Amino acid sequence: MSAIIEISNVTKTFDSHVAVNGLSLSVPKGSIYGFIGPNGSGKTTTIRMIMNILYPDSGTIRIFGQERTGSMIESIGYLPEERGLYRKMKLRELIQFHGELKKVTNPGREADYWMEKFDLTPWARKKVEALSKGMSQKVQFIITIIDRPEIIILDEPFSGLDPVNTEIIREVILGLRKDGSTVIFSTHDMAVAEKMCDFIFMIYKGQKVLDGTLRSIQDVYGQDTIRLQTEMGSEALKGVAGIDKVNDFGQVQEVRLLPDTDPQSILKQVLEKTRVDRFEMSAPTLEEIFIRIARPDKTSDYE
Amino acid sequence: MNKTLVIVKREYKAAVRTKGFLITLLLLPVMMGGSLIVMALTQDKVDLTDKRIDVVDQSGILGHHLQQRAELRNQVELMDSLSGEKKAPAYYIELVEPDTVDLNGQKLRLSDRIRSKDTHAFIQIGKDILHPRPGEENSRMFYYSENSLMDETRNWVGYILNEKIRELRVAELGIEPDQVRDLFYWIDMEGMGLIRKDVRTGDIQDATKSSVLGTILAPYILMFLMFMTVIMSAVPLLSAVMEEKSERIAEVLLGSVTPNQFMMGKVIGGLAVSLTTTGIYIIGGILTMKYLGKESFIPYSVIPWFFAYMLLNILMVGCGMAALGSTCNDSKDAQAIQFPAMLPIIIPMFVVMPIIQNPLGGFATAMSLIPPFTPMLMLVRQATQVTIPLWQPIAGLVGVLIFTVLSVWAGGRIFRSCIIMHGKRPKFGLLVRQLLKG
Repeated sequence: MSAIIEISNVTKTFDSHVAVNGLSLSVPKGSIYGFIGPNGSGKTTTIRMIMNILYPDSGTIRIFGQERTGSMIESIGYLPEERGLYRKMKLRELIQFHGELKKVTNPGREADYWMEKFDLTPWARKKVEALSKGMSQKVQFIITIIDRPEIIILDEPFSGLDPVNTEIIREVILGLRKDGSTVIFSTHDMAVAEKMCDFIFMIYKGQKVLDGTLRSIQDVYGQDTIRLQTEMGSEALKGVAGIDKVNDFGQVQEVRLLPDTDPQSILKQVLEKTRVDRFEMSAPTLEEIFIRIARPDKTSDYE
Repeated sequence: MNKTLVIVKREYKAAVRTKGFLITLLLLPVMMGGSLIVMALTQDKVDLTDKRIDVVDQSGILGHHLQQRAELRNQVELMDSLSGEKKAPAYYIELVEPDTVDLNGQKLRLSDRIRSKDTHAFIQIGKDILHPRPGEENSRMFYYSENSLMDETRNWVGYILNEKIRELRVAELGIEPDQVRDLFYWIDMEGMGLIRKDVRTGDIQDATKSSVLGTILAPYILMFLMFMTVIMSAVPLLSAVMEEKSERIAEVLLGSVTPNQFMMGKVIGGLAVSLTTTGIYIIGGILTMKYLGKESFIPYSVIPWFFAYMLLNILMVGCGMAALGSTCNDSKDAQAIQFPAMLPIIIPMFVVMPIIQNPLGGFATAMSLIPPFTPMLMLVRQATQVTIPLWQPIAGLVGVLIFTVLSVWAGGRIFRSCIIMHGKRPKFGLLVRQLLKG
């Protein structure tokens, strides 16, 4: 797949704070690329630089193989993290207005289509201020993708949405990708990122710490995690040698092993204490990897 | 459609569809003409309350005369001969012996009578009033009342006493009053405009008499109209942009338009609103003046200049306001910055009268060539009945044009930098850096 967005050695500083430091990234055309990272890590700054809202202090951003210009905005749909709508406008009028801004051929028809798809038709002639938060979020999503852009950049698209609406938006995103769009979205929901993304990029303190497919990322960490279920629960793990960290989920404990630890030795030690109902080796989840990077000092919930 | 035009269309519709717009549209002429209408309606309304006036006549020669004239007036001038209704208040003059020991104490007592509503006023006539020595208190007359400046009774009393003083002086010279009637016939110097030649017929047109309408009101109304259009269309951009920033609408729009398109869309939208309102007012004003037969007072030659200045003024001020609005995070920030930001349009309002009085003077010329003030002050000078050298409006227009371009450029840079900047309001130094760095 050819790269549709190429970020090369980009740095952005605000006063003395380095928000993004020497970032390089290549987003393949037609992919879904997930941006993850803790709050304040540089995700939104990176997205704003792609959108040309912020200029990098150094480095280059190329889109469609060309230097970033203002006119490229035509091909990008952007949903910012914090978003607002003109509250006094009527819903259909508002969607139509954004359609006109995005040079949609028949903005009225498109507005009707998307309102129908998102069950918003009964609200078409109501003012935006009358909509619920969830409805407003759907409207914000509609105005982002109304022109079916080649690149869709969504900053936290699912935040605050109920599962039903999350599912609807997820389906639309996948549909747009199927039609050829490239999707970048940032999220704190690791489960969504795992399910949807072809590639995952993690930024931490302004620097890239992960970039690749989920499988390739997990491979880096290896199968160092055991999921364990015992009659004693987490008590069974007390004093067991070779454990780096325990995440206690109540019924199940997720155990990260110290390097070069033989999982069989853990099983043996636990069996000496109690009956084992479940013992499985697995790669760390994205959430586990995220926490390992974002909270390296935290060794154990168990301790 | 061009993206800027899409925003212009939205801004225009959002502005003119509101009740506030209609109310302002109707209220503005009321504000402008309201006081004139009130004056016209109340000019015949006279206070008919009878008035008692104490007179301390130190000269001893005028008090009785005033008393007699007041009685005569009360007998023949109070009633309307046709309707039989009272049309003026009666004046009752009471002569008070001057207190030669404690005049100030006497004046205090007379003042207390006024305060307790026993009398309306008291008059002190100096003892040397017939042969006055300039500056001396004994050579003067004083009218004491609670609102002496606006008191019509003072005018009547002053006229009667001066008439009598003149009569006494003439009598002292041994001349019959009839012989010197012409001596006191004051002739006004009537103010006229200049003789003009009709460009179509070639006929020489007689000069028109200078009037308050042509000399003061026409330029003032045009400037006030300019002031109000800027207040209505450019100044609100400050809070509108601040709101769009704080409600996070701005960043959504920046996903579809560039910051410059966004800012210019808003400014031009405001301009379109102004063109609508001023168009309505100017057409309405012309029709009204024609209906009243006052068409000659319409400064037709200034109207194209008005629109040119208005266009540039709104762009100039609008870009500044939008840029400043982008630096604000909440309404508190916007309120703090609004007054200083409005100074370029407020200062002309303070200096307009001296400029109307002497439109060709150095002060008027200099002030009207300062670009932020040019649209209002040059317009005022051009709307007066004097002829401003043509180079001055042209130089002013070029100055405003350059300043507007700079304002759009600088406004664009600040707007672009600050519109997504949240948290603490950027300091002046940072704004300058953003301006220079872009």
